[in-house]
Amino acid sequence: MNDERIVTDRMRYTKNTASSRLALLAILFNVLFFVSIYKSDVGTYYYTILIGASIIYNLVFMLAAFLASEGVKNYKRSFSWVLIVLGVLQLVRIFILPVKMHSTVMGDPIEQSVQILSMHVNVTMDNLVMGDWQFIRVCVYLIASALCLFRAAHVNLKKSSALAAHLANLETMQA
Amino acid sequence: MAELSLQHLDKIYDNNVQAVYDFNMDVKDGELIVLVGPSGCGKSTTLRMVAGLEDISRGHLLLDGRDITQKPAKDRDMAMVFQNYALYGHMTVYENMAFSLTLRKEDKNVIHKKVLAAAEILDLTSQLNKKPAQLSGGQRQRVAMGRSIVRNPKVFLFDEPLSNLDAKLRGATRREILLLHRRLGATMLYVTHDQTEALTLADRIVCMSMGHVQQIGTPIELYDKPNNQFVAGFIGLPPMNFLDVRVEKGMLRGAGYDVDLTEEEKHTLAAYEGKDIVLGVRPEDIDDGGTLPVEVHSNENLGMNTLIHGSLAGRITITAKLRGWKDYRNGDAVKVRFNRKHFFDRETTNAIREGGQ
Repeated sequence: MNDERIVTDRMRYTKNTASSRLALLAILFNVLFFVSIYKSDVGTYYYTILIGASIIYNLVFMLAAFLASEGVKNYKRSFSWVLIVLGVLQLVRIFILPVKMHSTVMGDPIEQSVQILSMHVNVTMDNLVMGDWQFIRVCVYLIASALCLFRAAHVNLKKSSALAAHLANLETMQA
Repeated sequence: MAELSLQHLDKIYDNNVQAVYDFNMDVKDGELIVLVGPSGCGKSTTLRMVAGLEDISRGHLLLDGRDITQKPAKDRDMAMVFQNYALYGHMTVYENMAFSLTLRKEDKNVIHKKVLAAAEILDLTSQLNKKPAQLSGGQRQRVAMGRSIVRNPKVFLFDEPLSNLDAKLRGATRREILLLHRRLGATMLYVTHDQTEALTLADRIVCMSMGHVQQIGTPIELYDKPNNQFVAGFIGLPPMNFLDVRVEKGMLRGAGYDVDLTEEEKHTLAAYEGKDIVLGVRPEDIDDGGTLPVEVHSNENLGMNTLIHGSLAGRITITAKLRGWKDYRNGDAVKVRFNRKHFFDRETTNAIREGGQ
């Protein structure tokens, strides 16, 4: 057996820890994201329903990412697609709250909420709800989380395909 | 190549209790040595001293001529299989077997090859993805052995590995260990209190009692020519019968019975004329159809043999293993003869051999 075949054959008895750990790392980045976004005055200027929705989404995301991490650990191909969808949603999230917060000035909370709801993003005033530094940070966290998910999915797709082919080959040989 | 030399090993604990006295033995390469004896005789302590799990109080331990007395367990290149398997419950069979090599940071592909090879030897290939809890006792013990095999150690140490298994599984696993030994040709030290295991597995047996080595020899030597009464009584099942007799005029006189001696036996006991000795007779060396009267107390049919417990001359309890199926009843009188006899000095309990020694 050459080295490449041994690497594939090893997968019969070992877990896909690389994908699993990457998915868990994505959860960690998501935690850093929501810890950062709910910080300081931001909460004050959120529209209440958005805060609630954001919290619920975070919980759902973490649960789904965790389940997917367990799935890819066992080379389940379908969980790669779950990870890809979650990764895309992480990128989309940048354009929902962070971008809006970054372009909203502090003032009357109701007025700000109206601005957020009306997708009014062209406000350029000095006192932004989310400063530049905070905006960059939360974007980095979401992008990092998405990249981890994509990489986890990619590694799992590659490995599970190789394993499936190897198992089919073994079955043929046994037959 | 792994030759082990145990030179004058003593084990004295901090509370001054001595568990092993002057243990001396040379183990040849590829030899399977079984340490046998009752509980507390020091056999496991000796094994643990060899493994490096117990300090050696006095003496030297040499592996291939190198003194390893002071070396820590991890540097001795020995693998130990424990009675309780010591497997990691959260790991699969594969991970359990690969664990020691992973700790050594060996190449993963090399580990894989070694684990598969060991699994093949132990017929565990189909179990590699299972956790220990999903395996039977015998399979778990094989995993424990596999964990040792992958390390390719110089010496394998087994500490009562079959004690947790039921009788049927014990027999099967015993045969597997024997095959494993033949296949690997490795030096093995095996501790057990079961004399059947000792007789069936060993190249040589070390029989121990109270921390002292009683006899070292091949299974047939220990069975046929026991050094003393302890070895004679410990090796063999059912155990040997011991009868107090006096050597008189070329005969053995017991309480209410006489036993004739052959010319060879007379010669052996020449120096004991008029003295009390102990006569040892194995149950399987007793036949019916002789002159010695035995009153049957119980009759156990074993198929090929019949085990009879009774009293010789109405006084001395005796066990006989008679050939064939017998249907004696309680109180029946049977005449038996002793086909083969062992003689022991009553004071020293040592065997009396040719020349009266």
